[in-house]
Amino acid sequence: MTKKPKKITKSKAKRKGAMKRLAGRFSIATKSRGTVKQRVAALAKVPLTASDSDEDLQAMLKVLRDKNEPAEVRLAALRSLQAATFSAAAFGSFRGDYIVALRDLAEDPNPELRQRVLGILAREKDGFAQKKLLEGLKNPEKALVPPEKALQLLSYDVHGETYQVARGIVTAAPNAIAKREALRLLAADASSAPIFEKVLRDKNEISENRQISAAALQAVQPEKLREHARQIVLDPSEYKEIQAASLTALTQFGDRAIADDEELLKRVNNLSSNAPTKVKQSARRFLSKYGR
Amino acid sequence: MQSVATMNTLSEPQFAALVDEIADDPARREQLAGLLREDHSVYDQRGTATTVRMRGWVLLALARVGISDAALLVVLEELDTGTDPYLVAAAARALRSYPNPTAAFAPFVMRAIMNLRYRDDPVSFDRYGEYVTSATGTSPVRELLATLAWLGPRARGVLTEVEALRASHGGLSKKLLVDVDRAVEVIRISRDDLECSAKVCCTLPGGLGNIFSSAAGSRRDCRPIEETKFQDHEGTAITFKEFFRGHPSIIVFFYTRCDNPLKCSLTITKLARVQKLLEVRGAAELIHTAAITYDPGFDLPERLRGYGRSRELRLDARHRMLRTTAGFTALRGHFKLGVNFIESLVNRHRIEAYVLDAEGRVASCFERIHWDESQVVDRAIEVMNERDDKTNCDGRSNVADSRALNLSAPQVFGTLASVGAALLPKCSICWAGYLSVFGIATLKQISYSPLLRALLVAVMLINVATVWLRRGSTRGITAFCLVSAGTAAVVMSRLMLGWERAAVWGVALTFAGSLLNTVTTPATRGHVRESTES
Repeated sequence: MTKKPKKITKSKAKRKGAMKRLAGRFSIATKSRGTVKQRVAALAKVPLTASDSDEDLQAMLKVLRDKNEPAEVRLAALRSLQAATFSAAAFGSFRGDYIVALRDLAEDPNPELRQRVLGILAREKDGFAQKKLLEGLKNPEKALVPPEKALQLLSYDVHGETYQVARGIVTAAPNAIAKREALRLLAADASSAPIFEKVLRDKNEISENRQISAAALQAVQPEKLREHARQIVLDPSEYKEIQAASLTALTQFGDRAIADDEELLKRVNNLSSNAPTKVKQSARRFLSKYGR
Repeated sequence: MQSVATMNTLSEPQFAALVDEIADDPARREQLAGLLREDHSVYDQRGTATTVRMRGWVLLALARVGISDAALLVVLEELDTGTDPYLVAAAARALRSYPNPTAAFAPFVMRAIMNLRYRDDPVSFDRYGEYVTSATGTSPVRELLATLAWLGPRARGVLTEVEALRASHGGLSKKLLVDVDRAVEVIRISRDDLECSAKVCCTLPGGLGNIFSSAAGSRRDCRPIEETKFQDHEGTAITFKEFFRGHPSIIVFFYTRCDNPLKCSLTITKLARVQKLLEVRGAAELIHTAAITYDPGFDLPERLRGYGRSRELRLDARHRMLRTTAGFTALRGHFKLGVNFIESLVNRHRIEAYVLDAEGRVASCFERIHWDESQVVDRAIEVMNERDDKTNCDGRSNVADSRALNLSAPQVFGTLASVGAALLPKCSICWAGYLSVFGIATLKQISYSPLLRALLVAVMLINVATVWLRRGSTRGITAFCLVSAGTAAVVMSRLMLGWERAAVWGVALTFAGSLLNTVTTPATRGHVRESTES
C-alpha cells in the first residue's frame, strides 16, 4: 500500500522534470538569449510537444516571422512548426495563423525560407502560392523561386493553370533543369503526348529527358510508347541506354503480339549476345518472356 | 455593357467588375445564379484556383442581394461537398441572405463545419481574389457558425453536435469558441412558432430537390450520341447504343484525379452500393450501371479498373467503367454535364447521376446534393417497369403479349400465304370465274403471274420454318405438324387434279397451327419477370 503512492510521486516528478527541461529548451529556442547553434538544437527537440499549447506555437511563429532573427533559427522554427502539423487535431486551432504567416513569408528576403514556405503552401494547394508561382513563371522579374523549383511546386496540384506554361518552357527552356521539370509536370497530360514522342526520338536530347518522356508516354499513351520502343530497339545508331530502357518497357508492358514480331526478335537476339552488359541483360529478360 | 455570353474572354478583374455590375442592377440579378453553373463558358480554360476565386465572388454578390431558389441548390451543394475554405465561407454567407430560413439547412451547415474544421484557413471577402496575409478576415467555420446562429432555433436538430464542438474543442481555434457559444445560445432559444414538425424540418423550400425526372413522352432522344465510342475498364470497345439501349441503366460521372473525397471517390463507392442493392432486388442483370469518366485522356482502362475495384465496384459486361474514345463533346452536351475544363483537366464539376430508360434517354437526373442509393435504385426499377407498362397494362401477361406480337408476324403472313395459294387463280378461266364472282370490272387488269404463286409458296415455307424454330419455346411440335400438314394440303390441291377441296383443309390446318404457335406463353420471359418482382 505504501509503494504505490511512491511510484506516482516518482513518475510525477519525472514528468515535472521533463516539462521543466522542455520549458528551458523552449525558452532558449524562442528568446534570443542563446547562441544560434543552441537555439537550433533546442528547436529540434521541442517540435511535437510544442503543439500542446497555443502560446508555445504562437511564440514559435513569432520567431519564424521575425526578420531580425538569424535565418538558421527561423528555418529551425519552421521545421518545428511543420512537425507540429502532424498532430492535426491539436494544430487545427492554430492552422489559420500558420497559413497567414506562411503567405506573409512567401516574399521574405531569405531565398531558402521563401522556397520552403512556398513548398509548404503549394502542398496545401494554396491559391495564393500558386498565383505567385505562376506569376513568376510568366514574368521572371517577379519570380520568388527559380523556374525549375516553381514548376516542381506547381506540380503538386494538377488542376492549376500550369500545363500551358510548362509546354512553353519545354520549347524555350531557360535552362536544362527547368526543361526536365516541365517535362515531369506534363507527364500526366495526355495532350502533351506529341511532345514526349518528339523528345523520346530526339537523339540530341539528354538521356534523362528521354527517359522521362518514355515514362510519361507509358502513362498517357502506352501503345505509342510500345511503337517507339520497338523502333528504338531496331535502330542500330540509337544510344544503348535508351535501347535498354526500351527493351525493359517492351518486356514489362508489351503484349503477346510481340512474340510474332520476327524482325524485333531477331534484333533482340542479336543484342543479347552482342551489346553492352545493360542492354544484354534487358535483351535476355525480353527473350525469356517472348523468345521461342 | 458586357454580355454574360461573351464573358469567357474576360480577365479576372473584369469579371469581378461585371459581377458587381450585375448585382447592382435589379433587372439582371437573376443572371448571378446562371454564373454558378459549372458548364458556363466563363469558366472554360481557367484553372481550379481561378474558378474558386470567380465562383466565390459570385456567391458573395448573391450574399449581398439575396439568393434565389435557383442559386440555393448550388449553395447547399457547396456546404455539402465543398472542401475549399473560400468557397464554403462564401456559401455560408450567401445562405444567410436566403429570405426563408428552414431547419433543413442546419444539417448542411453542420456537415460543412465537420468537413472544414481542420482546414479553417482565413479568408478575405473585401476585394476580389484577395488572400489573407494578416490576422484580419473571417474563416469558413466562423461564417458557418454565424449561419447556425442565423438559423437560430431552426438548427435545434444539430444542437448536440454544436455543443460537442464546444466540449471537445477539436480543431477549433480558441477565438472561435465565442462564436460557438453565441450559436448555441441562439439555437437554444425556445420559440413555439418555430417548433417544426419532422415533415417541415426535412423539406427544402418549395419542394426544391436534387432530382429531376421526365415523363416517358418528354425525354430527349439519344440518337445524337448513339455512336459515341467508349472503351471499358477491360479495354473493350463499345458504343453508347450497344451498352445503353434495350434496358434501363444507371450512370454516374467521375474522374480518377478528383481530389475532393466527397465527390468522385464517394460517388463510385455509392455506385458500388447501388449495385449491391440491385443484386438484393434481383435487378442486377436487368439494369446496367456505368461510371463514365470526365477525363478520358488520362483515365485509361487500367486506371479505371484499379479505381473501381478499390471501391468494391462490380465490374462485368453489364456493369462497366467507361472512357470515351470519340464523341465526348457530344456526350457532354447531351447530358448537359455540370463540368468545365482547363485543357483536358477538370477545373470544377458537380455531382451527377442519371437513370436512363431502355431507349437510352434520360429518365431522371440526381444532381449536386448527394443522392440516396435506394432512391436511385427505386427510380431505375420504376423506369424498368414503366417500360413494361408502356407495352401493356398488366405485368405478366403483357410480356407474353408483347412477345407474341413480335413473333406472330411470320405466322400471320404464313397463314395469309396459305389462303392466297389456295385461292390463287391458276389459269385465265379461273380469272374469268373470279371476275364473275366479284363482278369487279377493274380486276380484269390483273394479269396471271406464275411469280405470285412462287412468292406465296415461299412465304408458306418460311411460316413452316418459323414454327419449327419456335417449337422449343412453345408447346412441342403440335403446331409444326398442323402447319406442315396444312401447307402440304394446299400444295397438293394446286398440283393434283381432284384435290382442290384439300385447299380448304390446308388453310384451316395452317391457321390452327399458326394460332397455336402464336398464343403460347414463353416460359423464359415469365421467369425473368418473377425475379424482378421478388
